[in-house]
Amino acid sequence: MSSPEPLGENDAERPQEPRRKTSQAPRIGVFVCHCGSNIAGTVDMPKVTEAVEKVPGVVVAKENKYTCSDLGQDEIIKAIKENDVDRVVVAACSPRMHEPTFRSCIKEAGLNPYMLQMVNLREQCSWVHSREKEKATEKAADLVKMGIAKAARLEPLEAREVPVEQSSLVIGGGVAGIQAALDLAQMGFKVYLVESEPSIGGRMAQLDKTFPTGDCAICILAPKMVELSRHPNITLLSYSEVEDVTGFIGNYDVKIRRKARYVVEDKCVGCGECADACPVKVDNKFDMGFGKRKAIYVPFPQAVPLKYTIDRENCIYFKTGKCKSCVKACANEAIDHEMEDEIVDVKVGTIICATGFDIYVPMKRGVYKYWEYQNVITGLELERLLNASGPTGGHLIRPSDGETPRRVAFIQCVGSRNKKIGTDYCSRVCCMYSMKNAQIIKEHEPDTEIAVYYNDIRAFGKGFEELYHRVREEYGIEFIRGRPAKLSENPETNSITIRAEETLLNKITEREFDLIVLSTGLKPSEGSLKIGKILSLSLSPDGFFMEAHPKLRPVDTAVEGIYLAGCAQGPKDIPDSVAQAKAAAASAASIMSGKKVKIEPLTALVDEELCIGCELCVDMCPYGAPEMVESEKGTRARIVEALCHGCGTCVAACPQKAIKANQFTDEQIASEIVSALEGEDGATGEERKASKKAEEA
Amino acid sequence: MGEAEKTFISGLHEKLVEDKVIDESQLEPDFAKEIVKHGGKDVMTCLQCGNCTGVCPISLKIDYKTRSIIKFCQFGLKKFTLETRWVCATCYRCYEHCPADINPAEVMIALRHIAIKEGVIPPFIRMAAMTLVNYGQSIKPDPEIERVRRELELEDMPSRNPEFAKVVREINLLIRSTGYDKLIGIESEVKK
Repeated sequence: MSSPEPLGENDAERPQEPRRKTSQAPRIGVFVCHCGSNIAGTVDMPKVTEAVEKVPGVVVAKENKYTCSDLGQDEIIKAIKENDVDRVVVAACSPRMHEPTFRSCIKEAGLNPYMLQMVNLREQCSWVHSREKEKATEKAADLVKMGIAKAARLEPLEAREVPVEQSSLVIGGGVAGIQAALDLAQMGFKVYLVESEPSIGGRMAQLDKTFPTGDCAICILAPKMVELSRHPNITLLSYSEVEDVTGFIGNYDVKIRRKARYVVEDKCVGCGECADACPVKVDNKFDMGFGKRKAIYVPFPQAVPLKYTIDRENCIYFKTGKCKSCVKACANEAIDHEMEDEIVDVKVGTIICATGFDIYVPMKRGVYKYWEYQNVITGLELERLLNASGPTGGHLIRPSDGETPRRVAFIQCVGSRNKKIGTDYCSRVCCMYSMKNAQIIKEHEPDTEIAVYYNDIRAFGKGFEELYHRVREEYGIEFIRGRPAKLSENPETNSITIRAEETLLNKITEREFDLIVLSTGLKPSEGSLKIGKILSLSLSPDGFFMEAHPKLRPVDTAVEGIYLAGCAQGPKDIPDSVAQAKAAAASAASIMSGKKVKIEPLTALVDEELCIGCELCVDMCPYGAPEMVESEKGTRARIVEALCHGCGTCVAACPQKAIKANQFTDEQIASEIVSALEGEDGATGEERKASKKAEEA
Repeated sequence: MGEAEKTFISGLHEKLVEDKVIDESQLEPDFAKEIVKHGGKDVMTCLQCGNCTGVCPISLKIDYKTRSIIKFCQFGLKKFTLETRWVCATCYRCYEHCPADINPAEVMIALRHIAIKEGVIPPFIRMAAMTLVNYGQSIKPDPEIERVRRELELEDMPSRNPEFAKVVREINLLIRSTGYDKLIGIESEVKK
């Protein structure tokens, strides 16, 4: 094996041999894993072992059926002790799976846990080359040799520990955020809950009943909202937004903007005298535009906190400088038109992101004529019309004439499962909320004729299939399998005819209805993109936040100390949202209860001698890890280890080659490349080319 | 078959699936791939929602269900899909509405390609090709049309123009050199 070319090292100081803490030559142990037949089914394992045994520095090479098993690990420990091994190569699966396993394994044998090099023979070799066994074996041997080359240059590293702030930030005050905040507060942690709307409650507060049991949504949510507002460990910051988050796991600095609500929270008692006096009437967003509210308002009667808010856009005082009717009406002098936004800084150890969802808004010129026909409404609008505290007092009407509709149709999968508009995913709740609403309509008006135009029914949850049976059998709701193709309105009656193929009959059907409900799907909430940028979270292809692992880390994010709850991570119903919120709270608590957290030492490191203080690394780093410090030698960069993710951006950017990435030094990577280009005889690619040319001549 | 269908497409008839049981011998498992090879999108992504049938102007007039043809393609029932695909007007309304982003109209075109290759050629295709070879246009010159054109003081059809013979010769050459004549069996009509 030839030694790597010097790369950016100071020639005078550069040792002839690769730098090593131990004075002796490296003693490498190689452990090749079959992973049952996952690797061994494609790769000829004995051949690989044989090929790597001969590599200089390797003192022991073994194969094992399952290296990650207790037996496999025992064998590693035994081999380390017997052969005085000082560094280990494990050729098995992705380091994402078992790197921590083998780190603790070699630690047990007395080695530094970072003297381990994983080689991925499964995801990056056997699984992708299952049809080319010979070539796969050749590649596997090369990969292991590359791993050995790097292992020879590994240096021991120490993980640092930092203290963890005993408090948490919950972003979003829907049912998921509420539940996560309550759980954490119950466990004794301080919680800051930030909600952008004047009241917590989120989407669940807008719903009428919940499927499949038919519990009244606000009746089961309101007690939790009240409990949250009274909990001594929770600081509720309603009508507020997260502006900025800096720091790292255990130590996040959060900047929160408290938007001016023009009502002093401490003085307002929620009597409503101001709203009575206010002369302005506008559409109530909470009622999806069906009901009216004043310019000073609480969105709904059970709002928490029950504090009024002035809507600046519609308030006459802000438009003309006159009015102040509310000020005159308020006995507590709570109203202050001169109030300004306030910035609050808090320090937290963990963050739970529960930013929820928005309802898909049908297209302006779409087939379902939502913007043209008054009697086409969305699922959430129907919820408000059915809600006893809604604009109609729970009486279902047609928007065109206020009459009770006799024939109602639901159209499923609007804004879901549609590749054309980029919403390929199933929104998971529309089938069930339509059935639930159909049942409620039938209970209000038993003579109503109801049809559901569906494509596939997804009734997968507990009690869901039973509801599907109940609405068909007991309530006589008709299910038509077909996606409506055309809606046309009768201009006199405002009734709407739906044309659709009943695919099970193989016939085109045309039927008239009084009211059409579009079962609109869920999409990521509007503010989530901004929050995602602030928290550096990645998105799944569907636009929702991506979890760290779809199976095993479903509430974690790729950023340590930040967790997901509820629909921010993907469409889900209330029980799932609550379950995920509880899981997120437990995950956050498991970090905070440890009081201290380990920081991976796989970070970048600046060589003060070489740094010229150009600040390029500061500009390039996506995590804000480098900072400029004054030293005897002048202004120099320094990496804040806890912030560094070890991505290597600064390493590549540094014009002085003054920054090195631990475990990924230029020397280590170059050694892997050199090894990859070596042939059987140990000759490099260049040498082979030269000898081939000589032969030809 | 409805009356309308007879008027629309004389000489074609829908092959109905009359078998009580469809066994494996009737299926072509790689039919979907064959369609992709002939320029169609993957029919396997179809969710069978029926939106295409609902918007299809042909479906409203005759017993022709876009969705069921896609289903036949998914299933591999090739023999039932090759005869009547010529009725599709390729208006692309199905494509506009399809939530699975398939283009049923292009699947129909792919089915026509396959049908021709398999020798399932409806008589009017040969007739149109022969007219093209002889007159340089796919519709036969019609004295009635010419009379109306003259009445409206429009120019004569180009096929009346003696210089148009050059164009006809070019068409003949192209048809022969691409082998289209052999493909649909009109070699004897094509001039050398």
